[in-house]
Amino acid sequence: MQELKQKLTANIKAAYPEIKEKDYPGNRLDFTVDKQYLVSILTYLKESLGYIHLSHIACVDWLEEGEFEVIFILWSPEEKLKVFLRVRVDRENPVMPNVDMIWRQANTYEREMREMFGIQFEGLEAPEEFVLEDWQGPPPMRRDFDTESYANETFFHRPGREDALDVREEIIKRSREEIPDFAKKYSR
Amino acid sequence: MREKATTLYLGPQHPGITGNMMVRLKVEGDTIVGATTEVGYLHRAFEKLQEKRNWLQSFTLMCRFCVPETDPMEESYARAVEAIEGREVPERAKYIRVMVLELARLASFMLWYGGQNGSLGLYTMGQWSVGDRNYILDLFEELTGGRVYHMYIWPGGVRRDLPQGFEKRVLKTMDYLEKRLDDYDDLMFDNAIFKKRTQGVGIVNKEKAIEHGVVGPVLRGCGIRSDIRIDDPYEVYDKLDFEVPTAEGSDIWARALVRRQEARQSIRIIRQVIDMMPGGEFYNKVPNPQKWTLPKGDAYVRTESVRGEIGMYIASDGGTNPRRVHLRGAAYVHAITLLEDVLIGENIADVSAIMNSLGTCPPEIER
Repeated sequence: MQELKQKLTANIKAAYPEIKEKDYPGNRLDFTVDKQYLVSILTYLKESLGYIHLSHIACVDWLEEGEFEVIFILWSPEEKLKVFLRVRVDRENPVMPNVDMIWRQANTYEREMREMFGIQFEGLEAPEEFVLEDWQGPPPMRRDFDTESYANETFFHRPGREDALDVREEIIKRSREEIPDFAKKYSR
Repeated sequence: MREKATTLYLGPQHPGITGNMMVRLKVEGDTIVGATTEVGYLHRAFEKLQEKRNWLQSFTLMCRFCVPETDPMEESYARAVEAIEGREVPERAKYIRVMVLELARLASFMLWYGGQNGSLGLYTMGQWSVGDRNYILDLFEELTGGRVYHMYIWPGGVRRDLPQGFEKRVLKTMDYLEKRLDDYDDLMFDNAIFKKRTQGVGIVNKEKAIEHGVVGPVLRGCGIRSDIRIDDPYEVYDKLDFEVPTAEGSDIWARALVRRQEARQSIRIIRQVIDMMPGGEFYNKVPNPQKWTLPKGDAYVRTESVRGEIGMYIASDGGTNPRRVHLRGAAYVHAITLLEDVLIGENIADVSAIMNSLGTCPPEIER
C-alpha cells in the first residue's frame, strides 16, 4: 500500500511540482491542487494512472475563510486507492472549470453545486434548474443562508395559527413546564 | 417520411420505482428519441438540516435518505463519524452490522423482484416476494423496534444487543427464503414474457459504464467484477467467504441474473456471520451527545448497497454539528445522465423496466 502511494505521489509530483500531498492511514491519499490544473490532472489520473472511477464530488463552504472547497474523490480498481483532489475557490467569485467531458456523471454534481452553492462551471450544458423550482433566494446550502429567517420573510402563517409560531413556548404556557437547560439553545 | 416528435411526460408517479420522478420523453411513434430527467418532487433538505443538528441527532435523519434500503446509509454515516474521530467499534458490533446490512439487502431484493416484474405487468411475483419480505421486516421489528426505519447502526456500535434466540429465528427465516428463491426462479426466470421483454433492452455496455461511472449490479451485469465489499472491504467483509456474480449481456436480463445470484450470496453471508458471531460488548459509548465534538477533518466512506455504491462525505469543523454531509447514492449517477442516454432508441413500454433495472431511487437523488 505504502509503495503504491509513494509511486503515485512521485508520478504526480513529476508532472505537477507545486502540488501538496497529505497521507492518511488506510488507502486514502490527499492532494491540494490549483483550479487551473484541475482538468489536466484529472485527465492524467484517468487516462494514464488508472483512476477510472470518479466516486464523488463534494463541496464544503468554509465561510470563515471566504472560500469553497470542492473535493474530487477518485478510485482505482487496480491499485485500490482513494485519491482526494482538493480545490479551493473564492467565495465572492466562484468559478470552476467544467469536468463533465471526462466523466459524464460529473454533470449531475455540477448542476447540484451550481444550484446549492452558486458555483459557476465554465461551459456547463445542463437545464438551469435541478432540484429547486422557481428559486428566487440565495443559494440555500451556503452557510450564511438562514433557513428560518428566509421562511419567515417568504411564507406567511395560516390565519388562526399565529399561536403556533413557537411550539415549544406554547407547550410551556399550557403545561407550565420548564425548558431543560440543554434544550434552551434550540428554543428561540 | 420522418414523423414529427411528440413530447410525453412520464411520471411523477409510475410503476417500477419508489418515489416520484418525471422523465420528459421525446417520442417518434413508439420509439424514444430524447429524454430529460426532472427531479425535485422529494427534496427535503436533509443535508441542510444536519448542519443545524448535533452528531447524534443528524444520525436519525440518515435512514430516511432512501426508503427501500435504509441500513447502508446509517452504516456509512456511523463509519464516517468513527473514521473522523478514530473511535474503535467492538468486534461483536461489526458482525451484527454485517448481519443487519445483509438482511436489509435481502429485503430490498424482495422489493426489487416485485418492482421489476410489476413494471412489465407481471404482478404475481410482487405479491409473493413482498409477502415474504414481511418475514425479514418481522425480524427487524424484533431487533430494532421499527420495520422500515431502524435507526439501529449508530456511531460507536449498534443500539442494542441481539434478543435471546434471535440467531435461531434468522436462520429459520433464511431456510424458508432459500426455498422461496427457487420458486421465484420458476415464476420469473422461466417466464417467456419476462425473457422476451428484458433481453436486449436497456443496454449499458462496458465503455458506457466507465464513461458514466456506473456501479453495482449494473456494472456487474456487463461483465466487470466489482464489489466494494471485496475491493475496499469494510466491517468484517474481508473475513467472510462469498462470491461476486457477474453476467454478460449488459441488458435488463443480465442484471436480473446478477441480482438473483446476489440474493443467494446474502443468505450465505448471514449464515457465516451467525456462525462466527463473537461475544462481548456491542457498543463503545459516545460522550454526552449535547457536548460531543469531533476533531476537525473529513472522511469519505463507501458502502455496497443493493443498487450499487453509496458514498458518504462528512466534513467536521471541530464543533458539535457536522459542517457538511453529502451522500451520493447509485441512483445519483444512474438515474440522470445514464438514464437519459440509455433511453434513446428504446420503446415507451420499456421505460419503467429500465428505470427499475438501473436502480432508480428518487429520494436518494434529491435528499
